[in-house]
Amino acid sequence: MKYLTIPLALAGAISLNVQVTAAETILNVASGGSENMVQYVTDYLGPMFEKQNPGVKVRVIGTGPGDAGTQKIIEKLEAQKNAGKETWDIDVAVGNQQKTAELVNMGLLKSYRAKISTGSLATRDTSKMALGVNVDGYVMPMFHSQTAIAYNSDLVATPPGSYDELRAWALKNPKAFGYNGIKNGMSGVSFVVGWMYAYAGDAAKLQNGPYDENTKGNWDGALSNLKAFNENITFTPGNAGTLDMLNRGEIAMGPVWVDMFYSWQADGRIPPNLKLKLISPGMPGQPYYYSIPAKAANSDLAMKFIELATSPKVQAEGIVNRFNWYPGIDAMHVEKSLDPMVWKKLFTDVTPDELAANGKPFPIAPYFSDIKEAYELKVSN
Amino acid sequence: MATDTQANGPNRIISMVLVAPSLLMIALLFLYPLGFSVVSAFAESGSWGLANFYKAYQFYSRDILFTIVIVLISTALVGLFAIAIGGYLTLGENPRAVAILRWLYRWPLFIPFIVSAQLMRTFLAKNGMMNNVLIELGLLDQLQSVSFLDWRGIVVTFVWKQTPFVALLVAGAMAALDRTTIEAARNLGASRLRILIEIIIPQIATTLMVGLILTYVVIMSVLSVPLMINAQSPTMLTVDMAFRINSYGDYGVANALGIISYLITGIVAWFYLRQGLDNGGSPK
Repeated sequence: MKYLTIPLALAGAISLNVQVTAAETILNVASGGSENMVQYVTDYLGPMFEKQNPGVKVRVIGTGPGDAGTQKIIEKLEAQKNAGKETWDIDVAVGNQQKTAELVNMGLLKSYRAKISTGSLATRDTSKMALGVNVDGYVMPMFHSQTAIAYNSDLVATPPGSYDELRAWALKNPKAFGYNGIKNGMSGVSFVVGWMYAYAGDAAKLQNGPYDENTKGNWDGALSNLKAFNENITFTPGNAGTLDMLNRGEIAMGPVWVDMFYSWQADGRIPPNLKLKLISPGMPGQPYYYSIPAKAANSDLAMKFIELATSPKVQAEGIVNRFNWYPGIDAMHVEKSLDPMVWKKLFTDVTPDELAANGKPFPIAPYFSDIKEAYELKVSN
Repeated sequence: MATDTQANGPNRIISMVLVAPSLLMIALLFLYPLGFSVVSAFAESGSWGLANFYKAYQFYSRDILFTIVIVLISTALVGLFAIAIGGYLTLGENPRAVAILRWLYRWPLFIPFIVSAQLMRTFLAKNGMMNNVLIELGLLDQLQSVSFLDWRGIVVTFVWKQTPFVALLVAGAMAALDRTTIEAARNLGASRLRILIEIIIPQIATTLMVGLILTYVVIMSVLSVPLMINAQSPTMLTVDMAFRINSYGDYGVANALGIISYLITGIVAWFYLRQGLDNGGSPK
């Protein structure tokens, strides 16, 4: 495109010059997610948006997965704010719950949900509250994701249905269960959080608050049991590491992200005999959020972009069908635009009822930090 | 005389001007952030104190010890292999084997740490390439195979990656030696091993030390290798620092851990500088 427009501009026609400036509108999308979330924009959503809005180019910056990825977006925006810049160079930010909530608290985001037509399609609690922080108006969920236990159905005939059964199974099958600790990806963190929901008492308080800093004093029993459990299992290097080890048959069971699991299975990177089980009393899942920085250079265009991204058609085709995520907007709006077969595929192993019963949010931010610190202090050091 | 005009007069100002950009770069990109992180490590909600260091010790004491042990083992093995490679290149009698070794040993030098870590992740796994080959050859039983993706994996990766660097320095120094001492020892009937240990190594000890110190410092700073290879605890300090920042936004403890790493590397840096001064000049 650039190579074409430069000689044309040199020809000197004023009308063409206008076109050149229009062609240079760049919408910067910063995605604090895994590689597949960047691909989603480069391969699917970006080209679609560019087609609908001639003269706009969507540029994606992948800042990496987990807390670290969104943390980089926070640092960039904060630096631009402190430098007193009039406009900031990120137009759309894609971030996880905890760090997006921090962005809201720091006043770095713009309230936009009421201004877009799809704003009313997301009514789940996750579109209003993020780990105990009110984010109503500032976010639209891109998708919801969930962790579950993946197991090799050739080796495990009846998978454990709860944390208690899982512990008993791991004791009988030493080193056959594997997870990635808490420093190496969120699937391991999810497993630990689920453990705390099961054994630390009052899971509802961890999820909804109010925060009481003395609560963590009651966790010693749960943590020492976890330390004993860790003696008998295998540690894996990361979210992908768990799937790799399941694939090579080095472990028979481990916590994974459901979307990653289905995508890898669709690509043939893990065999079809691996299955999923969402164990009780529950494991956490999370949405990723679209948000707009307070001083985004192209905020109108950003709203248009998010409107497209959260429209039922795109949520059905892009989020559910191509990338195996649960939809960001309410399911009933998506189901209509989707082939029933595809919809069923998403719920093969984990049924909608199980998801409703055992799909939990992550704890509110202060408890979340407490759990991770308690793990570092009492389980790993 | 030429040296006089260089030391005084207008040339001195020119040389200062020439040095200024790099000095400014060091001040801006190293000294300023260093000062910043020192301040942040000792600061705690408005006052000064050691709370961050106490927390770093409380949470990561095992990791500090683990880091020191890994770095020492890796550096020692790198030294051993570098001497072995350099020694064979200098004393080897089969020209074809020497040529092959000379061609082969530098390869890991051009592979970034993160790529080495990824290679080792599939190579050293329980059902990875190494164990599969051993099982195919009948040297290992399927049930006996274990994963090396723990502290051993980190050491293997560091040694594999850093040995060529030190071997390059050491082999260069060995090639530059006056061969008459080697020939004299050989004429008197010394074995090759004895020549290596008693004649060659003492003469190249300075170069070897410099190579090992640089290796030690490089290993201290690598994040990708422990992150990708070793998911277990204990782990290395770089992983803890990244986790403190990414997960809690806690720069205080991360900087305290950073200063602890500075101290661990500071000890060898001190040896390095002292060695240079003993030799009567700038460090080599």
